[in-house]
Amino acid sequence: MFSLSKPKWSELYVKSGPLGRLEDLLGQPSNAICADCGSPDPKWVSLSLGVFICIKCSGVHRNLGVHISKVLSVKLDEWSDEQVDLLVDLGGNAAANLKYEALLPDNVKKPKPDSSIEERADFIRKKYEQQQFLDSSLQTALVVQSTRHGHSHSGPLHDKRHYDKQATTSRIHGLGQAFHIACLQPGMVEFVGLIKVNIVRGTNLAVRDVMTSDPYVILSLGQQSMKTRVIKSSLNPVWNERLMLSIPDPIPPLKLQVYDKDTFTTDDHMGEAEIDIQPLVSAAKAYENSSITESMQLGKWIATKDNTLVKDSVINLVDGKVKQEIVLKLQNVERGVLQIELECVPLSQ
Amino acid sequence: MVGLDAAGKTTILYKLKLGKVVTAIPTVGFNVETVEYRNINFTVWDAGSQDKIRPLWKHCYQNSQGLIFVVDSNDRDRVVEARDELHKLLSEDELRDAVLLIFANKQDLPNAMSAAEITDKLDLHSLRQRHWHIQSTSATYGEGLYEGLDWLSNTVANKKSNPIKYKQHETQLGNTNNNISLVYILAWMWELVR
Repeated sequence: MFSLSKPKWSELYVKSGPLGRLEDLLGQPSNAICADCGSPDPKWVSLSLGVFICIKCSGVHRNLGVHISKVLSVKLDEWSDEQVDLLVDLGGNAAANLKYEALLPDNVKKPKPDSSIEERADFIRKKYEQQQFLDSSLQTALVVQSTRHGHSHSGPLHDKRHYDKQATTSRIHGLGQAFHIACLQPGMVEFVGLIKVNIVRGTNLAVRDVMTSDPYVILSLGQQSMKTRVIKSSLNPVWNERLMLSIPDPIPPLKLQVYDKDTFTTDDHMGEAEIDIQPLVSAAKAYENSSITESMQLGKWIATKDNTLVKDSVINLVDGKVKQEIVLKLQNVERGVLQIELECVPLSQ
Repeated sequence: MVGLDAAGKTTILYKLKLGKVVTAIPTVGFNVETVEYRNINFTVWDAGSQDKIRPLWKHCYQNSQGLIFVVDSNDRDRVVEARDELHKLLSEDELRDAVLLIFANKQDLPNAMSAAEITDKLDLHSLRQRHWHIQSTSATYGEGLYEGLDWLSNTVANKKSNPIKYKQHETQLGNTNNNISLVYILAWMWELVR
């Protein structure tokens, strides 16, 4: 691994970086299931308690307040070295359950992956808030604090009077139609993944003013769209602009439209391109949990006369990220080439 | 409606919509619901807020008249992060005209910061030319939410009935409308000669 013929600094860096170390920790057998309900492949963490938990149990943990449980996502939060160090020190699910479930009575059943939120909430509050199963010699001041607080609820807070203020409500249909509707919770539109698009540059673009153009790119996926900035007077603009969109299910094509910015008149069309991102998403899903830190090629499309590729497009695994580089001819325009880079981040929970 | 993760956005949304407390799981994506209150329809977008998905807020707040920013008043460690996210949002062009309602949520938890303390820590007094209001809330106990919506609806309605700035714009536009074709030709020539 550390042979001199392969001095890939980036690989070593990733392996020792916070995310790499976090994934190493997740790879330990006791962290492969939720510390509270046993669901496989937990992707959430209580940083203060040092446990890996599933998304459903994480909802209960968040209700306890950050003074008891501070929840982070393995995938969706940026982790610092200090946070990973803290988690390593706490020892993961095995160590935490030894402590918080030391005196778990036989008649108290832990929740299961299919338990209701109420069953989870009951157990999780007993386990961490009231610390009922903790070895009493280990009990901390936390208990004093949380029970004292438990009685302060009934003060000035009455919510019943608000109910009659509330009139009819209706759910919006259609807005989330293009998205995969998750069953995790009513109403929630879940992202199946994120796509990061780097609009690198355009080459030899079409002239739309006298000698030149003021090009910008509109990127769209389903109902979302974003624009790059306008580069003034350039037929070879370099944007290097990173845009992020969520990926709906079913996956629509990624559309790119190039326009010339006009101050007073309607902007002029400078060509377009459509990209099928399905292969990239499939590759990203397949390698989501892989621990491979070496770069490797996952797929390749050859540039031919029948397609719009200017050079071969390759899907690569780079530093654990699944990326695709594409250079293509713009369509419905006399000339112009666009270079982009895609990265897909799958978000299975 | 945005704010750091675990601030209570989804709980607020469903408390307003269903009148009851749901145990929300982290929102990986978004929730969108209409809530009717005092004959006004509020279309409320509740966007997931872990670090890496915050850039997606952009797709939720386009054309918004009001921004609700939710803060976990119990989370002292991250109030600076909340302040930075808020000020970043307020510099966005799409939210230039949006009024700002802050929910200082989780007031039922021990050691919660008061609305005054949060006003200070979020640096709200530095805001110029922005209608803003801070409201103490406890989504779990339904406290403060409707008071916040009252302010929001009154402020948006007042802005609509007194759009001094916009009226001036309209007068200027009225003059040019007569010469619209001339403007078009001039503009076309401008693109050519530039």
